[in-house]
Amino acid sequence: MKEQNKKLTAVVNVLDIAGKLVLILIMAFPFFWMISTALKTLAETLTVPPTMLPASPQWDNFSEVFKTIPVWRYLRNSLIVCISVVFLQYLVIVPAAYSLSKYDYKARPLFFALVMLGQMIPMQITFLPVYFMFSKMGLIDTYTSMIIPFISNPFGVFMLRQYFMQVPTEVIEAARLDNASDLKIMFRIMMPMVRSALITLGLLSFITNWNNYFWPLIMTSKDAYRTLPIGISLLKDADSLQRWNIIMAGNLLLVLPMLLLYIIASKKIRNAFVYSGIK
Amino acid sequence: MMGKMRKGEGKDALMGYLLAAPAVILLLLFTVYPLIYLVYRSLLGGNLITKEPPFVGFQNYRILIESSDFHQVLKNTAIYTLITVVFTITLAVVIAAWLNGKKHSRLNEVVQTFIFTPHIISMVSVSTLFLWLMDSRSGFFNAVLSMLGLEPYTFLASPDTALFSMAMVMVWKGLGYYVLLIMAALQNIPASVYEAAEMDDTPGIRIFFKITLPMISPTILFTSVVATIASFKVFDSVSIMTGGGPLNSTNTLVYYIYDYAYRYGKPGQACAAGVVLLIFVCVITYVQFKVSRKRVHYQ
Amino acid sequence: MPQVGTDNRQEVDKVSSISLRNVKKKYVNDVVVDHLNLEIRDGSFTVLVGPSGCGKSTTLRMITGLESVTEGDVLIDGQRVNEVAPGKRDIAMVFQNYALYPTMTVEENIEFGLINKKIPKAERARRIQEVCEIVGLTEYLKRKPANLSGGQRQRVALARAMVKAPRVFMMDEPLSNLDAKLRGQMRVELIRMHKRMGTTFVYVTHDQVEAMSMADDIVLMDQGKIVQQSSPWELYHNPNCIYTAQFVGSPQTNILDGRLSEGKKLGFRPEKVHMQPVDAGKGINIPATIRTREMLGSELIYSMETPYGIIMCKSEEDVPEESRVTLGIALESMYLFGADTRRCNFGEEEKKEVIQKFGGSC
Repeated sequence: MKEQNKKLTAVVNVLDIAGKLVLILIMAFPFFWMISTALKTLAETLTVPPTMLPASPQWDNFSEVFKTIPVWRYLRNSLIVCISVVFLQYLVIVPAAYSLSKYDYKARPLFFALVMLGQMIPMQITFLPVYFMFSKMGLIDTYTSMIIPFISNPFGVFMLRQYFMQVPTEVIEAARLDNASDLKIMFRIMMPMVRSALITLGLLSFITNWNNYFWPLIMTSKDAYRTLPIGISLLKDADSLQRWNIIMAGNLLLVLPMLLLYIIASKKIRNAFVYSGIK
Repeated sequence: MMGKMRKGEGKDALMGYLLAAPAVILLLLFTVYPLIYLVYRSLLGGNLITKEPPFVGFQNYRILIESSDFHQVLKNTAIYTLITVVFTITLAVVIAAWLNGKKHSRLNEVVQTFIFTPHIISMVSVSTLFLWLMDSRSGFFNAVLSMLGLEPYTFLASPDTALFSMAMVMVWKGLGYYVLLIMAALQNIPASVYEAAEMDDTPGIRIFFKITLPMISPTILFTSVVATIASFKVFDSVSIMTGGGPLNSTNTLVYYIYDYAYRYGKPGQACAAGVVLLIFVCVITYVQFKVSRKRVHYQ
Repeated sequence: MPQVGTDNRQEVDKVSSISLRNVKKKYVNDVVVDHLNLEIRDGSFTVLVGPSGCGKSTTLRMITGLESVTEGDVLIDGQRVNEVAPGKRDIAMVFQNYALYPTMTVEENIEFGLINKKIPKAERARRIQEVCEIVGLTEYLKRKPANLSGGQRQRVALARAMVKAPRVFMMDEPLSNLDAKLRGQMRVELIRMHKRMGTTFVYVTHDQVEAMSMADDIVLMDQGKIVQQSSPWELYHNPNCIYTAQFVGSPQTNILDGRLSEGKKLGFRPEKVHMQPVDAGKGINIPATIRTREMLGSELIYSMETPYGIIMCKSEEDVPEESRVTLGIALESMYLFGADTRRCNFGEEEKKEVIQKFGGSC
């Protein structure tokens, strides 16, 4: 009887591990296939049955990507947009969150409602009017059109407000008695206290903007301002021949920075997304 | 003791307004104004370059209601959402409960890392990658099927299977995120509840259905709402994988709006469809509000 | 309301360093402080004391400027400061929860106010060193507040206030987060500090023992008004109403009501109740039965049943429960209060009435 129980436990154990390994395989295999394809010759990609690994890695596929599309330009545009959004949003959301948490004035509930509305309305609803507005102002095909709609990040305001509300008001009062100005209190006292939240927000918005396809697609029509996701997506239609090895190599360029970031700060990134999901 | 908040008098109140002003102006510009303009523009005709589009009342809405294309789009969006939400949430609950167990916690950590990876990858690359995997001539999936001696599956090539295939890609990409959300809820269940159940010699399956599931049901509802809104917004994968085809079978609401505005140059009709999406999101958000109220109450 | 400008400043200067004139504080519909007139002497250790919600903290915060004044004037050294920002009033404050800047080291915490005042670096270093030696923080300068004990944090808060060499030193329940032993120790240190600095201290507490032991001027408040302002000795020996008489001292002053004409009430402290009769004409004698006794160590507290209700007695004598005793209370240790609970004249006529109503002999 006991023997049987032991055997059962062992079987369950093996199944448990096997199941989890299958799960990892399902999640990891597409990435493996992407890398493997990116390093094959065109002929190798078409063989049936497919080969798991390239006979010899074709590093030239990457230079082919650079020859087909202006990768550096896209990359530069992506970085300009992402970095601008991350830093400009701090200048906007930190004061707003501070105001909404530690000042009292008539319009405050209204402003907070506005922040909640901003969180609720996706850009897939507002893009047409914003496009019309930008197009009237001549802002289509500019960095501005891809940066400013994102710097008032309502989720960021909401999250920082929660953090600021936990700061005892006495700390601010002590600083006022120490003759610190409102701005000094905000930058020298409040901001350092929410450093980890600021890092989380920076990570979230960098990842989101790096991956953003929809917004730059609508706001740009010229190669000069296109970001990497748009550029890479164009690779697929760059020539009539579907060179999957080149396409995968290009996509790898888009994916790798995020994968590297995830390897460095996997736990932090996951916690950031979970926090933003639960609120 | 008194006055936890700095009272809104004179200079203090002014500073409050000043600090909030940049964010408020931007939100007015990019959230409030577009909503108003969306509704207004949906009542006008004309095309993208018409200087002064004429007022046409509810004409655009009438065209939508009468258009079988639009019916198809709504149906597609609903089916896509239903498939995605049901698969994602069911799998996420099962996997979360599985990974939350005491067995092989190091391995569980690894699984969590892998399962979440697709969430931080651009939908552009995920879509392209699956387009390749599902390719009917030399794609990996069909190669495996033929090696097993099975008929090749049509995936994105047939109107019957394209929408489902696309939904599966979304499930693959989003699953990890929902697993983590539900795991966070599971970890909030006090250990003493499980200990009490163990003392009563409750079998595992019963614990799952009678204790775990009811205790995380508010989170399940909440994540379902989040997943629903995310599915409504689907655009990237349609644009990259199918362009709405074959035979309009994967055309969803946001892609339709985009198409009507830019390809067919009918902004009025696009805005009317935008208002329909707005109404959907409002209804769902209202449900979310109700659910989260309950959630607070429950805890 | 007296108009105070620069012309009569010198006259005011002599009177006090802080004055509140007809001050009122209103939150929406709540009047927290009303018609408050308060003079705080230059160099005094003034304690605002009273139950929670009596307006003492609000009063303190109005002096600092953290709370605005709805009506009336706040003057510091004769100058009206109603519109002066808190940081410009030359006031330092120690908060109940210390309110240290958590992201700064001890040194940075202390230095912050000095930097804002644009004090040169060398001077800052000198002052920080001096203050830290006084409060004993020299070895913790590089630590963050999170790595300090409660007592050490308290010292940082004190140092941060002292280093500014302010005109006025404010403290809002600064000891209430400390354990009893440390609290006693800090009490002595604060008294010593006050002597050494010679600056005006304004201290808020709800604890009468703290107030009595530290203050040289006590302001007793209730429901947004000052009930009595005097020295601790005066407050104990010469209360101006029942509220004061009962607030100071433990157990509370006994009040005998319903016997005297015109609703007058008789009050006397438990420690003035003796278990021997007094001579006829010198006081009153009341028969009593001991119901409960509490042993406090050096003395005992008795609760006695008498024909006039329960009387509390504090005595060194050790008498068993249920004993019958005669309580003697001398006339000179009695207070007479009017129907409005204010202290009133205790002349020969009233004395006679008391002896007659409560029994002059046994």
